[in-house]
Amino acid sequence: MNELDFEQPEQPEQPEQVGEAAQTQAPGTKKVEGRDPATVRLKRAYEAEVENKVASDYSHIVWAYGVIWAIFAIYGALLWRRAVAQRADLAALQAKQK
Amino acid sequence: MKYIPYALLLAAAALFPYCVQRVFLHTPIEAEMGTAQKIFYFHVPLAWICMLFAVICGVAAGVQLRRRSDKAEALAVAAGEMTVLAGVGVLITGPIWGDATWGTPWTGDARQVSTALLWLVFVAYLLVREYGPPNSERIAAALAIFGAIDVPIIYYAVKIWKTTHPQTGVVGSLPQSMWNTLFVCLAALMMLSIALVWIRAAQARMAIALDQAWIAADTQPGAAQPA
Amino acid sequence: MRLLRQTWLLTRNDLRQEARRLELVLTAGFFTLVVVVMFALAFFALDGVVQRKAIPGMVWLCIAFVGALTLTRVFDRERESNTLAALLAAPVDRLAIYLSKLAVTLVVLLTCSALLVPGLGLLFPASQVFAADPLALIVLMVLGCLGYAAVGTLFAAGLATGNGKNVLLSVILYPLTTPVLLFALVATQRLLEGHPELWATLSQIAALDVVLIGVGAWLFETVLIGAAHSSQPARSPDASSRAAAARARSTPTN
Repeated sequence: MNELDFEQPEQPEQPEQVGEAAQTQAPGTKKVEGRDPATVRLKRAYEAEVENKVASDYSHIVWAYGVIWAIFAIYGALLWRRAVAQRADLAALQAKQK
Repeated sequence: MKYIPYALLLAAAALFPYCVQRVFLHTPIEAEMGTAQKIFYFHVPLAWICMLFAVICGVAAGVQLRRRSDKAEALAVAAGEMTVLAGVGVLITGPIWGDATWGTPWTGDARQVSTALLWLVFVAYLLVREYGPPNSERIAAALAIFGAIDVPIIYYAVKIWKTTHPQTGVVGSLPQSMWNTLFVCLAALMMLSIALVWIRAAQARMAIALDQAWIAADTQPGAAQPA
Repeated sequence: MRLLRQTWLLTRNDLRQEARRLELVLTAGFFTLVVVVMFALAFFALDGVVQRKAIPGMVWLCIAFVGALTLTRVFDRERESNTLAALLAAPVDRLAIYLSKLAVTLVVLLTCSALLVPGLGLLFPASQVFAADPLALIVLMVLGCLGYAAVGTLFAAGLATGNGKNVLLSVILYPLTTPVLLFALVATQRLLEGHPELWATLSQIAALDVVLIGVGAWLFETVLIGAAHSSQPARSPDASSRAAAARARSTPTN
């Protein structure tokens, strides 16, 4: 656990470990490996971190792809409008020639 | 001939869903930058397209000046617009990606700054074409040629300027599967941009022809009875 | 040889007219003073270390401003008395026109930097390091101004018209001259720091100047012809406006 230097709450660690030690020694219960609260808290913090990162990445990606496609869509719409105007212009010219 | 750009547009439209599917489902997530690196697959091809059309615009402007060719002029305008358009895409997606991975949208990285400068040159080109004094299309063409020549100079100048600023991490080597996906996206974007440039160039030629037809129609029969 | 002689003749002619009225030099010089005073007001509070980092920017920003001001005026004389068409018709190499205007611009810019650099030295103590290596300083100012003027003269020929289109010149000028200004900026920084690679950077600027003058000379003719013969070629310049007028006439009045 030491190589993961996540910020973990420092001061409640000691008393809780004492409490946990007291709990595991209660009669009729078995000690579960790797389930001590410190590890669980660490895992939760890690998962929250990942979740934040994924959410932020997700919004960044949506923005980036949205921008790219919006740019091309706007340009396409401009081209289309210009084509319509040109066609009208051509029709006016032909009407004048008649 | 007339339907080639529309065929390209259709092909691009068919390829885009495959691209997206490939980018998000079939390509592994890059270890260091995570999911945000997915922006890369459209950001980098757009940057390449921006550079490519900048060079095409410069070359077409050169041909336009040498041959007095309407075709080349139309191509130069269309390529210039595509450079600006792709440049907007690059300059917006770049900071978004930077914000996700470096934590800051603008690092002053040499490539960022030189892309921005290149973009400014071509925006100036379009502005001169649009709002310049009469006969400014020759000046605009000279500007486009100058801009295309400036591309490597700008990059080198920004690089030497960067040496006085802190360096930032750059994309390292990528596995082959990511490059393959990149090339699929490049193909889709390339088809799209070629189609749009083609359509725009055809429009520009049409506009020139229409202007000439209007003047001809105005001077021949209309001279007798001006309304 | 002929080219150099023609260039010299044209330059001398321009400089003589300039010496008679001193219009360009006086306005640009005064503008330089104004800019220096404004820099002094804006950056008064900077301490020595920061000053040294800010001074290259001040020098080249000021040159960029003064250059844009000068370049809008360099071709004015030709335009006002309509001598540009006469000059084009005369048996003078177009290159000589470009080089002479470049020389005039360079002279004005260097006069301004002769005010600018001592002025900065007076107002910002950190820039007194400039005096340590006057040779490098002079070479730097000449090379930087030359590169800037090479790009500027090219586009001023076509764009600096009297009808309020001058904004476009600045729009073109600043993006295109950024490379040479960046190089000059780095060289100035190195001059202030006493960097050992100063002369390498200066020679890079010299190479860049050669490229810029070459491209400018190559493109000058097309730009100038575009500006001078405004009503000649097959597709006349104002085809779009004439066509617009024709369209307006054909539509029923409303």
